[in-house]
Amino acid sequence: MIQVDALRFRYRGAQTDAIDALSLDIKTGSLFGLLGPNGSGKTTLISLLSGLLTAQSGQIRINDRPMPEERRAIQMDMALVPQEYAFYPRLSVIENLRFFAGAQNVGAPLRRNRIAEAVAATGLGGFEKKRAQHLSGGLKRRLNLAIGLLNAPRVLFLDEPTVGIDPQSRHFILEAIKRINADGTTIIYTSHYMEEVEALCDEIAILDQGRVIARGDLQALLGHEQGGPLTIGLSPGRTASDLQPRLGDIPDARISDSEISLPKCPQAQLYALLDRLAQADIGITRIRYGYSDLEDLFLRMTGHQLRD
Amino acid sequence: MPPVAHLVKKETLLLLRDRNALVLLFVMPAIFILIMSLALQNRFAAENGVKLKYYLVNQDAGPVNAQLLDSLRKLEGFSAIRPSSPPATLENHLADGDTRFLLVVPKGFGSALMSAQPESLRISISADVTPQTARLFTASLRATLGRLYLRQLAKRSGRSAASAPDFDLVNRLIDVQSTYTPRGHNQFPSSVQQNVPAWLLFAMFFIAIPLSTTWVQERDQGTYARLRGMGVGAPTMLAGKLFPYVVLNLLQVALMLLVGVYVVPWVGGEQLTTGSAWGALALVSAAASFAAVSYALLVANLVTTGEQATIFTGVANLLMAALGGIMVPRFVMPAAMQAVSHYSPMAWGLDGFLDVFLRGGGVGMVVDSVWRLGIFGALCLLATGAWMTYRRGRAGG
Repeated sequence: MIQVDALRFRYRGAQTDAIDALSLDIKTGSLFGLLGPNGSGKTTLISLLSGLLTAQSGQIRINDRPMPEERRAIQMDMALVPQEYAFYPRLSVIENLRFFAGAQNVGAPLRRNRIAEAVAATGLGGFEKKRAQHLSGGLKRRLNLAIGLLNAPRVLFLDEPTVGIDPQSRHFILEAIKRINADGTTIIYTSHYMEEVEALCDEIAILDQGRVIARGDLQALLGHEQGGPLTIGLSPGRTASDLQPRLGDIPDARISDSEISLPKCPQAQLYALLDRLAQADIGITRIRYGYSDLEDLFLRMTGHQLRD
Repeated sequence: MPPVAHLVKKETLLLLRDRNALVLLFVMPAIFILIMSLALQNRFAAENGVKLKYYLVNQDAGPVNAQLLDSLRKLEGFSAIRPSSPPATLENHLADGDTRFLLVVPKGFGSALMSAQPESLRISISADVTPQTARLFTASLRATLGRLYLRQLAKRSGRSAASAPDFDLVNRLIDVQSTYTPRGHNQFPSSVQQNVPAWLLFAMFFIAIPLSTTWVQERDQGTYARLRGMGVGAPTMLAGKLFPYVVLNLLQVALMLLVGVYVVPWVGGEQLTTGSAWGALALVSAAASFAAVSYALLVANLVTTGEQATIFTGVANLLMAALGGIMVPRFVMPAAMQAVSHYSPMAWGLDGFLDVFLRGGGVGMVVDSVWRLGIFGALCLLATGAWMTYRRGRAGG
């Protein structure tokens, strides 16, 4: 369990907080997505959670241990895969893996097993002797991920792990991440690729200007369960004055000649409304229910694009 | 194997695979030592028969002129060329070749030497001749003319050859000796003996460039953050850099000494005499390496880009070298500069190496230099560790 409470962090010389009174809970074993545009505070939050930065105020507890007081013990149990290719290009794949395992004090017998597991998990078999600088972009991403698996972490931070690679490699990495999570590792995944987060994560938080502006289950956030905005396009030939007597009793409904819309509509109300339209013999041309995707959700909540 | 051993192994592998850095670290200093030892030589030229050439245009005749020409032929350090071109032409071409002086003996010079209005020798000196060399040439000519004048004076006063004054007496009244006594013989140290330790030390401190560039790269690539995220502490990271770079620095020292001993004589210079105080040499080398690498680690942590590292190291090393007596001997500096020079690590290192190479010193003699270099290195490491901790602790470091 990762618990973050009222966390605040400001970079030296900055005018505003990079992380602003942020609170968050991440369940053990979840695959948690951190979404936000560039500069929203995703990488800063990960740096704080992994002990690379120290917050000015607020609390972090990871698996019941406080950060930074028990930083060393926490770091033994976690791994950070940064968005940069954080390895040595002039070393081979196996030399990089041996080095990073050794640097974490993983003992020799265990080291061999861990390296073999990491190579298998990331599909790097056959590339062990190749210099990292000669790997393709996709293989470099896999090596970056493999290094993060060497200490068999209980918590794994993945910062934009698929940036700049081809679709095939991305698919492989996403599948590998699913398998790692299925083995019990809690994964905190940051990306500004919404489709990746939608496909992978069971829970997400959307960050903007250092604050969590939305968080929770993905389907719930998209409004597919608790009720999102609804727009129903109506067949031509009706006027708003015709429709008003038949549908005017629906709270918050906005009715025009061509459509009816509600800012928030639970699923039960949606079905009831569709029944009434059928009974009144009002034809439907289109239905838009909830947010179409995270981009849409983000746009409606903040007024700007997620990829700004 | 502890984590630090893995860091040392990684750093060694990276260094061995960076051919450009190896060229920079080994070949460049070797060439540097070679060129500086030869280019800045002083006694080297005189002792190996190298003479500065000058054009001699003689328009005079007679017995006095013959004596003058004979004396000029024996002029130490200079060699006359007798061209057929007129003086005006020669003067225009003084800087073209390797001849920088023109001496014209005018017609009637010999006959008018003892008259009330003697003729003057005309000397033209190329503009690119240093004032010291120009003074050396004119002083040699004055001495020659002085002897010629006295000889003519003695002849005119009617003394016999047996009772002629001893014109060379002045040369025997001074006895110049050096404190440099390799193999028990008193002799002047060669430029190689003085220059190799100086430029060796200068090159050692340039280790800051590859080290800080690598460190900056690690920061930019995220490996530094990754290692910190793995719980690798500042002491382990510093030790992982310190050991391989000190070894590399010591290999540089060995290579540069080998250049002094074997390569410099091969290209016509004098051989470096290392003496037999190997313990003292090893101690000074290790202390200088420790100081240079610790200083490099501090620079690497203070700069934020590779460009900054290169510029800062270049300028700081030149300043340390200028203050430390690498470029100009400290004893010729003004008093205030000499006082400041006591705070240059290069001065401490140079003192240590000169103790070994010129003064025949053993371990006891180099202790002071070693101690100063060691303290400097330790302070640099402490400052680096403190800076790393501060940067991590400060907001946004």
